[in-house]
Amino acid sequence: MKVTVSQWKEFARAISVGWFLAVRQLRRAGKGTTSLIIFIMVLTFLNLVVVSGLLLGLISGSFIQFRESYSGEVIVTPAPQRDYIENSSELAAFLRDHPRVEAVSARYRVGGQVLGTLSDLPEKYERPNKVGARIVGIDPSDEEAVTGFSRFVMRGEGLVEGEEGYILIGSNLIKKYSSFADVYIPGLDLLNDVDVGKRVRVTITSAGGTTVSKDFIVKGVVKSKVDEVSTRMFITDRELKRLIPINKEQYQEIAVKMDYAYAPALVDEIEGFMGSSAALVQTTDEAIPSFLRDIETTMGILGNALSSIALVVAAITIFIVIFINAVTKRKFIGIMKGIGISPLAIESSYVFQAIFYGVAGSIIGLVLTFFVLKPYFNAYPINFPFSDGILVATPVGAMLRVGILMIVTLAAGYIPAKIIVRKNTLDSILGRQ
Amino acid sequence: MISVNKLVKRYGSGELELTVLRELTFTIDEGEFVAIVGPSGAGKSTLLYQLSLLDDPTEGTIHLGEIETSGLSEVEKTAFRLHNLGYVFQDYALLPELTALENVALPMLMQGMTLPEAEKQAREALSRTGLGDREQNLPSQLSGGQQQRVSIARAIAHAPRILFADEPTANLDSASARLVIESFLELHREGQTIIMVTHEEEYANMAHRVITLKDGTIVSDERQR
Repeated sequence: MKVTVSQWKEFARAISVGWFLAVRQLRRAGKGTTSLIIFIMVLTFLNLVVVSGLLLGLISGSFIQFRESYSGEVIVTPAPQRDYIENSSELAAFLRDHPRVEAVSARYRVGGQVLGTLSDLPEKYERPNKVGARIVGIDPSDEEAVTGFSRFVMRGEGLVEGEEGYILIGSNLIKKYSSFADVYIPGLDLLNDVDVGKRVRVTITSAGGTTVSKDFIVKGVVKSKVDEVSTRMFITDRELKRLIPINKEQYQEIAVKMDYAYAPALVDEIEGFMGSSAALVQTTDEAIPSFLRDIETTMGILGNALSSIALVVAAITIFIVIFINAVTKRKFIGIMKGIGISPLAIESSYVFQAIFYGVAGSIIGLVLTFFVLKPYFNAYPINFPFSDGILVATPVGAMLRVGILMIVTLAAGYIPAKIIVRKNTLDSILGRQ
Repeated sequence: MISVNKLVKRYGSGELELTVLRELTFTIDEGEFVAIVGPSGAGKSTLLYQLSLLDDPTEGTIHLGEIETSGLSEVEKTAFRLHNLGYVFQDYALLPELTALENVALPMLMQGMTLPEAEKQAREALSRTGLGDREQNLPSQLSGGQQQRVSIARAIAHAPRILFADEPTANLDSASARLVIESFLELHREGQTIIMVTHEEEYANMAHRVITLKDGTIVSDERQR
């Protein structure tokens, strides 16, 4: 169908008159009513952006903590079926000299057992006060530079470089501090009566069957929502190196702190430096356990479902507002048609009003999201058992939702206006049904 | 200018069918000031709605100038009303959110004038009806008589070929009513075609021609002078 110039002019004229009417109707509408409608639109917008953003934020918070508490931006671990990172001393030196790298923490990691009660041997029917755990040897100052390790010390003190005979124990290994202490989990052992200042015995068994034991004094208890901190034990790397019978110069973990955006490029550089089979080199995003990714996907689906409900609520709200507005002005709509104002002009005036409510709600919602709620949740995250929940809201995602909200608003504003405007002109003027 | 031929208007159907206008035939010339009178239920307002294209006749034809109106679509009727007809309603029918000036300017904006052009012409129309100093008032800030004069200004500002008025003095006190009728007389002197429905004999007698309806038929059609 060909649209003529005069039809375009008529269309433009109708839209222009619709704008003229909408501006004046909004300007002279009751401020209380207008504020209430905008308030509802703000809540709708927040429902769209913030609810799903918080759901995603609960899991994204755990990703951030995984990075900040354990992996850094890049984490190097042994290749599959290997006990250590090959040529790890050279790799650590390479990373420390790399201009884009801020800090490196090279860790030793072995499996071992910790006996909590040294004085009394258990009765026959008693289980020993013992747990199996990973024992990690760290350079305290390097670890501090990568993860800020001292912030995890909830009791006692952190390790000091060069000291020996002291150990830090993850809170989830000690019954007194563990989050799982009140739950029966078959096979889960926790240390009883162990706290700062107590003596424990660490036993390390090598692959060849050699066993080494040493007593340590618990210097501190470390707690984090990341298992790699709260279910491990930490001693200085020098001491662990002496205890390990073999491969004394080979690390098991190297965490690299650096610019997040450069991490994929560094992974390529490391693989280029040492070959791709010498170790497993991953960015923090790649290293995140797959079950967390599954939770992220589930949260995303849940967030989208909730957003869809919010959209329906928004559509119904706008529809009702515009419908009531149009119904109460049915007589005036009839009069306008009677004096020659085109239906399109009248309909567009209601659509413009709906757009105004949508835009105003979205702008206030955006300001609240990015200048109030996001900074607030960054400063005061939601204390979730496995993460500190933040608000995930990106400008692109938010603008996409604004777009969707505006499309819904357009439809929800147009349809009720159309329903009322199409009524018989004389019936509208005379108030006849 | 207006030619009505065997105009019939019925409402309802079957046993509930009600014939309000019965085969009316008459013409109205350009420049006439016609008052349509009659008792309640005579069909005065119904006739006005047919003539002013707000309603469709059941039978018969209406010619407005060269146009046979039954052939017009709803969109064409709306456009025809915009460019050729003016309306003064009994209850003023001003849009409450628009000032007096904006109410008068609205049809001209729809005709394609720019806002300054439409406002200029609207100011002139308001001045003619004696409301030049009330242009920024909302309808709620005006008396009934003033609102009716704004309504007249809106009806005449775009220089329509025919001005329709449905009981324009019904809600007014006698002083305001007289001002409204005087406005019509002045417009009539300038050549405006006016068709006014009224039940007030005093004002009807001021018109140039009086058509009296009873039970849907014309019982008299008299020119006053």
